[in-house]
Amino acid sequence: MSATTPNPPESVTGVQLAQGIGHQPAKGFWADAWSQVLKRPAAVASIAWIAIVAVFAILAPFIASGHPLTQTIDGQTTSPLIDNLSSADVLLLIFGIITAAMMLPKRGAPRSKRGAALVLAAIQAGATVILTAAIRSWFERRSAPQFAQDAAAAAAFPYALPIAIASLLAILFLIASRPWQSFAARLAWVAMIAVVAAGVISFKWTEPLERFDYREREAAGMIDATYTLIPFSPGQTSTSLFFEPPGTTLGEGLGERAAGRLPPEDAGKRFILGTDAQGQDVLTQMLHACRLSISIGLVSTSIAVVIGVTIGALMGYFGGWVDLLLYRVVEIFMAIPLLFLLIVAAGVLPRNTYVMMIIIGCVTWTGAARFTRAEFFKLRNQDFVQSARSVGLPLRSILFRHMLPNGVTPVLVDASFAIAAAILIEAILSFLGLGPVNQPSWGRLLSDSTNETGVFKWWLAIFPGAAIFLTVLAYNLIGEALRDAIDPKLKKARV
Amino acid sequence: MTSQTHAVDDTKPILEVRDLAVSFDNGKGPRIQAVDGVRMSIYPRQTLAVVGESGCGKSVTAMSSLQLVPRPPGRFDRGEILLRGLEGEVNLLTLSESQMREIRGNEIAMIFQEPMTSLNPVYTVGDQITEAILLHQPVSPGEAQEIAFQAMRDVGIPEPERRIKAYPHQFSGGMRQRVMIAMALACKPRLLLADEPTTALDVTIQAQILELMTDLKQRLGMAIMLITHDLGVVAEQADVVCVMYAGRVVEYGTVYDVFENPMHPYTRGLLASIPKVGERKDRLVTIREIVEDEAQFTALPGADKGVRPWWPWHDAPRDLAAKPGPAGDYELREMVTDHWVGLWRTEAVAAEGEATRLPDLAFRKEAAEPVA
Amino acid sequence: MGTYIIRRLLLMIPTIIGITFLIFMLIALSPGGIGAGLRVAGGQMEATSRALQEAYLEDRYGLNDPVVVQYGRWLSRVSPVKFGEREQIAPDGSRQRAPRAIDPPVGWQWITDDLAPAAAEPFAWPDDATEESKDRTYRRQSNAYAQARARSIAAATEFEQALSAYLRAVDLDKFVFGTGKVRPAAIKSHTPNRDLPEWQTAQALGEQALAEYQGAIDERQNKITMLRAKPYREAGVPIIPGTLSVAMPDLGVSFARSRPVSTLIAEALPITLLLNVIAFVLIYLIAVPSGMLAAARSGTAIDVGLGALYVALWSFPIPLAGVLAIGFLASNDYLGAFPVAGLHDSAADTFAFLPTFSESGAFQRGYLLDSLWHVCLPVLCLVYGGFAVLSKQTRAAMLENYNADYVRTAKAKGVAPRDVLFRHVFRNSLLPLITMFVSIFPAMLSGSVVIERIFSVQGMGNLAIEAINLRDRELILATTLIVGAVNLLALLLADILYALADPRISYE
Repeated sequence: MSATTPNPPESVTGVQLAQGIGHQPAKGFWADAWSQVLKRPAAVASIAWIAIVAVFAILAPFIASGHPLTQTIDGQTTSPLIDNLSSADVLLLIFGIITAAMMLPKRGAPRSKRGAALVLAAIQAGATVILTAAIRSWFERRSAPQFAQDAAAAAAFPYALPIAIASLLAILFLIASRPWQSFAARLAWVAMIAVVAAGVISFKWTEPLERFDYREREAAGMIDATYTLIPFSPGQTSTSLFFEPPGTTLGEGLGERAAGRLPPEDAGKRFILGTDAQGQDVLTQMLHACRLSISIGLVSTSIAVVIGVTIGALMGYFGGWVDLLLYRVVEIFMAIPLLFLLIVAAGVLPRNTYVMMIIIGCVTWTGAARFTRAEFFKLRNQDFVQSARSVGLPLRSILFRHMLPNGVTPVLVDASFAIAAAILIEAILSFLGLGPVNQPSWGRLLSDSTNETGVFKWWLAIFPGAAIFLTVLAYNLIGEALRDAIDPKLKKARV
Repeated sequence: MTSQTHAVDDTKPILEVRDLAVSFDNGKGPRIQAVDGVRMSIYPRQTLAVVGESGCGKSVTAMSSLQLVPRPPGRFDRGEILLRGLEGEVNLLTLSESQMREIRGNEIAMIFQEPMTSLNPVYTVGDQITEAILLHQPVSPGEAQEIAFQAMRDVGIPEPERRIKAYPHQFSGGMRQRVMIAMALACKPRLLLADEPTTALDVTIQAQILELMTDLKQRLGMAIMLITHDLGVVAEQADVVCVMYAGRVVEYGTVYDVFENPMHPYTRGLLASIPKVGERKDRLVTIREIVEDEAQFTALPGADKGVRPWWPWHDAPRDLAAKPGPAGDYELREMVTDHWVGLWRTEAVAAEGEATRLPDLAFRKEAAEPVA
Repeated sequence: MGTYIIRRLLLMIPTIIGITFLIFMLIALSPGGIGAGLRVAGGQMEATSRALQEAYLEDRYGLNDPVVVQYGRWLSRVSPVKFGEREQIAPDGSRQRAPRAIDPPVGWQWITDDLAPAAAEPFAWPDDATEESKDRTYRRQSNAYAQARARSIAAATEFEQALSAYLRAVDLDKFVFGTGKVRPAAIKSHTPNRDLPEWQTAQALGEQALAEYQGAIDERQNKITMLRAKPYREAGVPIIPGTLSVAMPDLGVSFARSRPVSTLIAEALPITLLLNVIAFVLIYLIAVPSGMLAAARSGTAIDVGLGALYVALWSFPIPLAGVLAIGFLASNDYLGAFPVAGLHDSAADTFAFLPTFSESGAFQRGYLLDSLWHVCLPVLCLVYGGFAVLSKQTRAAMLENYNADYVRTAKAKGVAPRDVLFRHVFRNSLLPLITMFVSIFPAMLSGSVVIERIFSVQGMGNLAIEAINLRDRELILATTLIVGAVNLLALLLADILYALADPRISYE
């Protein structure tokens, strides 16, 4: 026989491997790791679950709202649902649509580049919203009397402020995104984000109403309303409807007398998962809480990674007294059980979502710092760093271009676990009553389920608890799959 | 089965590897053939040097003798490894795990390349040596310690009474390797497998360790399979040389024959690429230019009839035998007395039948040289 | 090793200072600042009682000082090493020290040129003075001083208000704070217009304020003199008499509960430690064999199944576990097999220690069994998470060590697989397990906060949460201090164990 592969087809020799026979071509590091992750059914299921939670986070105000979809008064139809959306709701929806449009098609720029552009856009838009809200509230508190006097200023403010902030951030992000793509493309992208963000914020300047008197008005015949899928809003409390078990209809909950006044289609509306201590529908709360869980996970972990990697890199590169000093700080954060620190912080600081994100991020950075420091110590003495220094590259360049990409790998592998931990922390804090006020949260629902006396409200434990469990499990499974893909020693070891 | 030195028949080999083939499971692709048709034999008080570059299968061959190859990914495809003892010979590949355990450390011992990581860092050196002794000899712990002292003295570790309580990290590299050797020899094995024992050490220590091994070989009547890629070590220490490439033996003969008259182009390339002190050259010869030279492959006697050295980077010759031999398209043939070369199994080669000898050299250097 | 331990213990001090400083600053950041819980809402109090209250707070906590100074004051109270004269312990347990200096009323420079020093009267105890009479005399003096001070503060406040009215009248609004207080800079740059009626009111009030101030500092001096005559026994042990001494740390008094903090902690700490230590031991007992099993059967269905179990347990939120345990296992709606709250039955004090059978054959639990029964569910909730994490770590360490070179050597020597596993692999795997101490212990302390809440166990976690909710500053700081110290000690223990287990580490 004159075959070039004389060995039986079921085995290859080393020489054949070197010639490229019987061996798959290698992908890039992360691409290879990611493709291995996708081979695991557990990881795929986890990604699917997180995608579902993300979709609900975006669509919650549309699926579950106490404001009717349409409302007809004297022949004129308006949409209270849309009128009462906040700017964050609208921007999230736009972002969701853009993400789907950009990431799904197979052709075009590599997915990682598209993803990076989207992430930058999200940060830019988010920063615009947050800064605008913060400055606005500070302004209105300080200068409320003057504002009321000057009508012109009051009228211009809703436009001037968002535009100013959006432009500022646009310039910032234009500079920050220098490594990517051409100037024209970046300018167009950043400008579009700025315009969209500023526009939505201005348009949605007035705060949404928290008044839910539609049913009474319907019963009185004043209006005609149709509702969305789940016709309850998170803030819609009712003293007579607390702790209703799942499946109770509105009519049953309110009692005969009140139910008689409702139109029949309203009386038949069910609380699919029951209600909580204040009469709010559980399913609605759970859907709206998706937003909190996703944002806490991502934002807190990002803050923690940024802080941790910076400090770790400084420690690792300089060593000496910088390391000594900074490591004492790391030790301080390691010495105190984190939950204690968070309880104190959450207890004394203003209780809103952004503050919570920041404090969780500011407290959980030690892991990333230690990883980075260890990697940098290892890398410092490696040859490629020595050669960079001998050629005379400046410190900044060595740190960012050479050491950081290598040193950050364990941190990124750990990122998924860090997100899971952040979500768990938020759930615990909300459970203890220290979570953000006026923001639906799975943990807070959980805390309503028991008290020392009284009945166990199982629906307030099982459903929100399952949501927390599945989300945390999903991130942990993805983290495991990623870690196994990157560190194969563990998987292939045989005893 | 306690080993006894010197009582074994000098005229029969202690260990015979016959047509060994080992492959490994690669997960997603086809199995990887690490060793494919290796033959060699070792006689008592003989040093067989197995030479080759990384990945040629030398370690796998040695580890197979002790069934140390992890078996779910690894698999013995065919062949036998015969250990000859007082009661006759036994195929090591067919023994059960508990039977192997009696042989390991007892009849056959192995030392490895990295002495630091090869010693358990949390136990004292004494614990680890006496562990080997207590496993195979019916002695009390006190007696075992005495044997350990003796072993340490034999390998040249000063003050064994004090150092026996030390931990591995408290020794230098050379000392650690001596500890490994003491551990290996505590039960006086008949065969020592040394897998690149001096590669991790510096040159002066290297010399000491090799000298030690030779000395022990003489005193204990041991055989040594010395795996190395350092031809200088081979020249100094080996009696018989076995050159391997890509899982097969390409040349086999006494150290003098192989060095003075290398027949396979690869061996020629190896030897030609050694820089010689006192020689003036503009550039060194590479192995590659030798093995890419077609002329080298037609230099063997019988080349016109289709006798051609086996080389995996070449396509198989057109006149391959229709019926593949036990090792497929390759065969190890005795070209000249006591000198084997790995060949393509062409029609000409196959025609000579199975009548040729298997590699079997009872040659020992010191027997040939006059005693100093 | 001894020097290493001492060095570590000494290094703990800056770390604890760092932790408490962090918490102190956090509390200072909160609305209301560091004095929030202390400044009891006293809107309805009349001026003098409020002034008295303020005087007491000011004296004890120095609430008008910068935050860093306040922290320093707390630190010196808490530190066992004390500088200056030793405090004295009154019969009621409170500590007496020299009262702080009082500031003269703001604007005094416009009323008089010089402040007279305090009039010091010499003092000595009468010969027949007893403990009680000394106590009574001192308390009377203390009271006198407190009253004088309160009056002085009240008068000074009125003076300041009149001053600000005057300043507004002369269009010098910029020197007046929004709260009515006067900027000291006004005093330097302006000469009062003595003709204005506002000034005359102010001047009259000012003279009165100065008189009260004088009286107050006189009383203060008397109190100091009396204190120096040592009416009570001194606290602690002197090292350099008059300068340095060692005494028990004073953790303060819980404002919300009006009890000394040290008592509260002494009640709560053993409970938390009990729960956590039991949980800790259990975790190691079950996780290590489980991890070893998973490693030994690596790749088989058992390993995969165990791996899935570990991830699931690890992801299970602790509040959910506690709530489900209480809801389904403890409450009477469902299984009702376990107690719902607390660590002891309400009648536990009447139980015998061991289980007994009464004559009619009824089973009585006994104190021991009752405690164990109550402790079951909380400990279970604390254990499952740590079990999952430690099992995974054990498995990983075993597998990693199984591929080590020395295992190959051991096999080459002929060691049996079981001995390879236990003597070689496991012994080396101990090291990362000890290192895991460092993450499991703090995590468990955190977890016990939630569990104590759910199961109504009066431990440190519950104490901390109540302290936060009530803004009880002393309690928050003290709990943080104790928890931080316990944590650091546990970490030190882990390091010592590691040094003992790994001969490569030497701390000489």
